Amino acid sequence: MERLASGDLGALDRLYEQYGAMAYGIAYRITGDRSAAEDVVQDAFLGAWRNAARYVDARGTVRTWLLSIVHHRAIDAIRRRRPTVELPDSDAAVPDTLTLPDTWADVELRLDRAAVQVALGRISDVQREAIELAYFGGLTQTEIADRTGVPLGTVKGRLRLGLQGLRAALLPPDAADRASRG
Amino acid sequence: MTCAEAAELAPAFVLGALGAAESDAVRRHMAACPELHAEMAELHSVVPALFGAVEPVAPSAGLKDRILAAAAIDLAEREGAGSRPAPSRPSPTQPRPAEVPRRGTDFGSIFRRPIWSAVAIAAALAVVALGAWNVQLRDQLTGLEAYRNGVVQVLDAAAQPGAQLAVLTDPTGSGGPSGLAAVAVDGSVAMVMRDLKPTTGTQVYEAWLIGANQVPVAIGGFKVDRSGTASFVTPHPAIGEGVVVALTLEAQPGATTPTPPILAVGTAHAQSS
Repeated sequence: MERLASGDLGALDRLYEQYGAMAYGIAYRITGDRSAAEDVVQDAFLGAWRNAARYVDARGTVRTWLLSIVHHRAIDAIRRRRPTVELPDSDAAVPDTLTLPDTWADVELRLDRAAVQVALGRISDVQREAIELAYFGGLTQTEIADRTGVPLGTVKGRLRLGLQGLRAALLPPDAADRASRG
Repeated sequence: MTCAEAAELAPAFVLGALGAAESDAVRRHMAACPELHAEMAELHSVVPALFGAVEPVAPSAGLKDRILAAAAIDLAEREGAGSRPAPSRPSPTQPRPAEVPRRGTDFGSIFRRPIWSAVAIAAALAVVALGAWNVQLRDQLTGLEAYRNGVVQVLDAAAQPGAQLAVLTDPTGSGGPSGLAAVAVDGSVAMVMRDLKPTTGTQVYEAWLIGANQVPVAIGGFKVDRSGTASFVTPHPAIGEGVVVALTLEAQPGATTPTPPILAVGTAHAQSS
C-alpha cells in the first residue's frame, strides 16, 4: 500500500490483478449492469489510488478497504437512479464504516467464501433477504419495510438478528467457545 | 441522539441502510459518545464477510488498461503540480546527463519516479491528443507496459555486483529517444529505449559500445513497432569501466560503423563500490 500511495502504477496493477474480479463481481451484483459495474470499478480503483495514503491509518485489510470503496460507489450509482432517495454524501472517498473508532477492534471473523456461504445458510430466509436488500440492494430500512410489506420494527429486528446470526456462525471456534462460556 | 437510539439504528447503520440524516446523526453520536457501543462494533465486524457472498466475475479485458491510463494521467497531474515550484528539475521529455546517478547512490529511488513521471506524461499526452480510447492509445499503453517491463529488467541487471548503468539521452537535447542500459560485469548489455520512431523496410536500430580505444562495436540491432519502445539483452565480452553506449538508425542490419546522427548516448557508471 505504501507503493500505491507513492504513485507506483505497478502496485495498482497488482492490486487490480488480485481484487479486480471480486470488485467487479460486487459492482455487478449491486448495479446489475455490466457497463455501470465497470464504471464503478474504475472509479473505485482510482479512488483507492488517490486515497491510498489514508489507508495507512485505517483499520482492516486491503481487501476490505478496497471492496468497501467498490460497495460504496456501487450503492451511490444505483441510488442516483432513484431520485426520490435521500442521497448520502457521494463525495466521501472512504465509506463511513471505515472511519470507526480504534476502540472497535474486534476478533477477526472468518471471511472465506465457504464459511460465509455456510453462515448465510444458518440465518432465516427473511433475515437474509433483509440484509441483502440493504447491503446489495441499496435500500434503506424504511424502503425494505415498504418493499417487503412488513412493519419497520420487524425489518430492524431481522437486520439485527441476521447480523448477529452471521457473526456467531463466522466466529473462529475458539472465540465462539469463549463467547458461549462468557 | 441518545445511546439507545443509536443502538436501535446500529444494524441499519453498519449496512448503510439509513438515510443521510439518520446516518449523520449516528455518526455524530458515535464520534462524541464516551460509551463503547459494543454491539455496534460486533455488528460492524460482520459486514466485510458479506463480500464473501458474491462470486468474482471477470470484467472486460480493457478495464485494467483504462484504470491504469487514468491513474497515469492522475500521476502526471500530481507530479506536474509538484514540479512547478522546482524549476531546476529536468523536463521529463528532456532528461539531462546530470541525471546520471553518482557512484554509490540509490539509483532505484532516483530513477523510478522520473521514469514513471515520463511514462505517466506520455500516457496523459496520448489521451489528450487522441481524445478517446482507441487503437492508437492501446498501442501507447502496450508500449508503456513494455517499457516498464524493460526498465525493471535493466534495473535488475544494474543491481548486480560490478554492473554499470548508462542513461541514454538525445545528445541534441531536443527530446528524442531516451532509455537505460545496464552493462553487466561479463559485458552483457540489457537495454530499454522509448520514443523511437517505428522502423520501416530494412531499417534497424543498432546499439554500440565504445570503450577506451574509442572504437564503436555493434552489439545488436532491433526493429521498433508503433509502440516506439524496445528492450533487449545481448551478450558481449566485457569492455571495462566508463563504456559509452550509443544508438543509431541504420538502413539495414550488419553495420560495422555507426551512421550519424547518434540518436541517444550515455556513459555507463558503476552503481556500487
